[in-house]
Amino acid sequence: MPEKAKFKCLRCGYLYEDKYTPGVPQERACPKCGSNSVRRLEEKSTSPGNR
Amino acid sequence: MMDVGRHPRIKLFAYSEVEHISGFIGNFNVKIRKKARYVIEDECTACGDCTKDCPVVVPDEYQQGFSSRKAIYIPFPQAVPSAYILNMEECLGNNPIACGKCLEACEKKCIDYDMKDEIIEVEVGTIIVATGLDVYDPTELDEFGYRSYENVITSMEFERLICAGGPTAGHFVRPTDRKVPRTVAFIQCVGSRSGKRGNRYCSNICCMNTIKDTLLLYDHYPETKCKVFYIDIRAFGKGFEQMFMRSKEVGVEYIRGIPGEVVEDPVTRNLILTVENTTTGRVEQHEVEMVVLSVGMEQRSDFDRLQKMLTLSTTGDGFVLESHPKLKPVDSPTRGVFYAGCVESPKGITESVVQSSAAAARASIILNAGRVKIEALTARLDTSLCNYCGMCARVCPYHAITPPDRKLGIYPEIIEAACAGCGTCAAECPNDAITMRHFTDAQIMAQIDAILEEKPLEKIVAFACNWCSYAGGDNAGTSRLQYPPSIRLIRTMCSGRVDEKFVLYAFQKGAPLVLVSGCHFADCHYINAVTWTQRRVERLWNKLERLGIRPERLQLEWISAAEGQKFAKVMRELEELRKKVTPEEVQQTREILRREAEKERARKAKRVEALRSA
Amino acid sequence: MKEEKLRIGVFVCDCGLNIAGTVDCEAVAEFARTLPDVVAVVRNKYTCADPGQNEIKKAIQEHRLNRVVVASCTPKIHEPTFRQCVADAGLNPYLMEMANLREHCSWVHQGDRKAATEKAMDLVKSAVNRARLLEAQHEAEVPVTRAALVIGGGVAGIQAALDLADAGHQVYLVEREPSIGGIMAALDKIYATMDCSI
Repeated sequence: MPEKAKFKCLRCGYLYEDKYTPGVPQERACPKCGSNSVRRLEEKSTSPGNR
Repeated sequence: MMDVGRHPRIKLFAYSEVEHISGFIGNFNVKIRKKARYVIEDECTACGDCTKDCPVVVPDEYQQGFSSRKAIYIPFPQAVPSAYILNMEECLGNNPIACGKCLEACEKKCIDYDMKDEIIEVEVGTIIVATGLDVYDPTELDEFGYRSYENVITSMEFERLICAGGPTAGHFVRPTDRKVPRTVAFIQCVGSRSGKRGNRYCSNICCMNTIKDTLLLYDHYPETKCKVFYIDIRAFGKGFEQMFMRSKEVGVEYIRGIPGEVVEDPVTRNLILTVENTTTGRVEQHEVEMVVLSVGMEQRSDFDRLQKMLTLSTTGDGFVLESHPKLKPVDSPTRGVFYAGCVESPKGITESVVQSSAAAARASIILNAGRVKIEALTARLDTSLCNYCGMCARVCPYHAITPPDRKLGIYPEIIEAACAGCGTCAAECPNDAITMRHFTDAQIMAQIDAILEEKPLEKIVAFACNWCSYAGGDNAGTSRLQYPPSIRLIRTMCSGRVDEKFVLYAFQKGAPLVLVSGCHFADCHYINAVTWTQRRVERLWNKLERLGIRPERLQLEWISAAEGQKFAKVMRELEELRKKVTPEEVQQTREILRREAEKERARKAKRVEALRSA
Repeated sequence: MKEEKLRIGVFVCDCGLNIAGTVDCEAVAEFARTLPDVVAVVRNKYTCADPGQNEIKKAIQEHRLNRVVVASCTPKIHEPTFRQCVADAGLNPYLMEMANLREHCSWVHQGDRKAATEKAMDLVKSAVNRARLLEAQHEAEVPVTRAALVIGGGVAGIQAALDLADAGHQVYLVEREPSIGGIMAALDKIYATMDCSI
């Protein structure tokens, strides 16, 4: 089930790839600076902010 | 055990499982499935006549499969309740023509082939979870040869072989030739303290259990030589070190190093262990007649069912999370539910008993009080603003909100006694129909107003949850860890309370940077409310980007109550980010959000009107 | 309550030198006087000590305060203290708010008196603004069914069930296996005293 996704650290700007399971929230930390401000970058903007 | 059976105030449901639990502290409704045992429990005198005539022979699980039992049996002689049980899957057939021998043999006629499972409902005020543990199965560690070599056994199997009530009547013999082994090796940490296979944690009891086993062996067979292969011996409890010393004195050899391989000599059926002795630094070989694997313990494999029923949390190792690790070590985060024994962490008998008495005392406080107060931090619903979307019921970690039904016109209902006050529902409600008592939108926004009224550019607005990140800030203070004075904390009970609009309001009021901080996922004091925080922040990042505001200006951090260091570090990092935000950028953001707010107000007015007229 | 005019009292704590050593508490107190609806400001050496608490109670009576802001340390330590204190003086405990001048300010900005004092003022202002909107809350009470469920009949469950039953409560003990006893019933002897398991 897990797929690969791109992540960006909004603290230090580091870009990396990691496993990601849709619908399963997971605590994330930037592998470089340790921050939790890690944003998953969507391949294409599929309904960002579905509210 | 016997005391339980005859206590007038204990109703024992053996061979039964909890099927469903609803309700809240003081008022739980429990459905128990009493499985059919096909023997009428109260009437059985445990005479054993049925067993004698039963023709079915199967391995006896109580004796770890070393001996056999019949399809109708008593688990062990001292069983409570003292009644036989018929395993219908092993029985030749409940058709008396097929067999029916036990029924014939039973003078009291208490065997009933047509017995059905029963569902029993009880009402209770408190619940104690004492579901125990699973013993680690070492089959996957094939280097030890368990299941390949008969003379390799587990520490659980050892217990039965040495026991006077065991299959060999207490004669410790090896399975292949029924001879008392002259050399026995014990391998420690099997399934424990390993990053690769088994579990990472220490199972707590196995060192002492092995020391005990070696002493038992010397008591029974002074000539038997024991060798213990270990990483380190953990003998930290009362009287433990003395036992360890005693076992050394009687001649047990302790070798620091875990064997990499166990191989059987096909002729003698002896076992040859290859081990790097880390004390001498040499690779050694040891030939022994028997090997005992000192297996660790694990959370019950099917514990998740009960976990969901009681909305409990587990830590990374699978054991349950306490309400507070030091001050409320037997309380679960769900009020009225307590832990006892190995469900909480691996532990020995003494510790289990201590913890059980603590749990009973904690439960007694509630039962004796007769009434419980609910802290006035709960959610309240204004049905006139509700549009039946059901979001609140979906996100509530405690299932404290009953789902609405649009067709029937049924609004969601907040069960106050089950509400823990995290505020996730209020933050997620798209219509602001939910108010958190003592942490209202207006109260929180008034704090933002106060903070940003003057010199907003110099300040960082931070939302911190009461239990972890706010306490992490306290920890930084107590440790005198210095950090830049730009941060302004706003306390909420849970980060789940932090509404999108609080963040946007702070930006609108000129905040250069906003931080949302909460507990690590494993520490969340509201089960999984923190996962909604994360989702919301992710949503906000998208929204900010869409509006043309740098998502970097909204930061997210999980800080535990113990992480003062991290708190201070994050504050220093945020200050660096704040400095990069220009007055022009802030001004532009305020413009964008002012326009957005106008649009939103118009939208909302329309929505409210539509709701009111409907 | 709603109609009543707001009368807020602010109590600024020196905490000895813990706060006053870094924060100019007099300046913070002066600043508090300028905030809307604040009718009384009192400085204390130790607000949590009895004399400090008595000052709060006295001020509530004298100035007919209907909101209280205590600017001292973390609510994690003294929120229960001050809630009880204002309740003793006849005020609903939920009408008390705290500003954390110690753990979140004086202790972490020790070299910077000016910035720490400014931050302390902000924290007080934030607390006062919040206090103005606080409402009295009443803690709901629910009855308790005087019975307990114990899930699991191993040594832990047995002990918990016996203790609860001996304390006079009805206990329902649920065990999955045909007999109680759990893992312990399968053991031979128990460390450290080598007694029998059953």
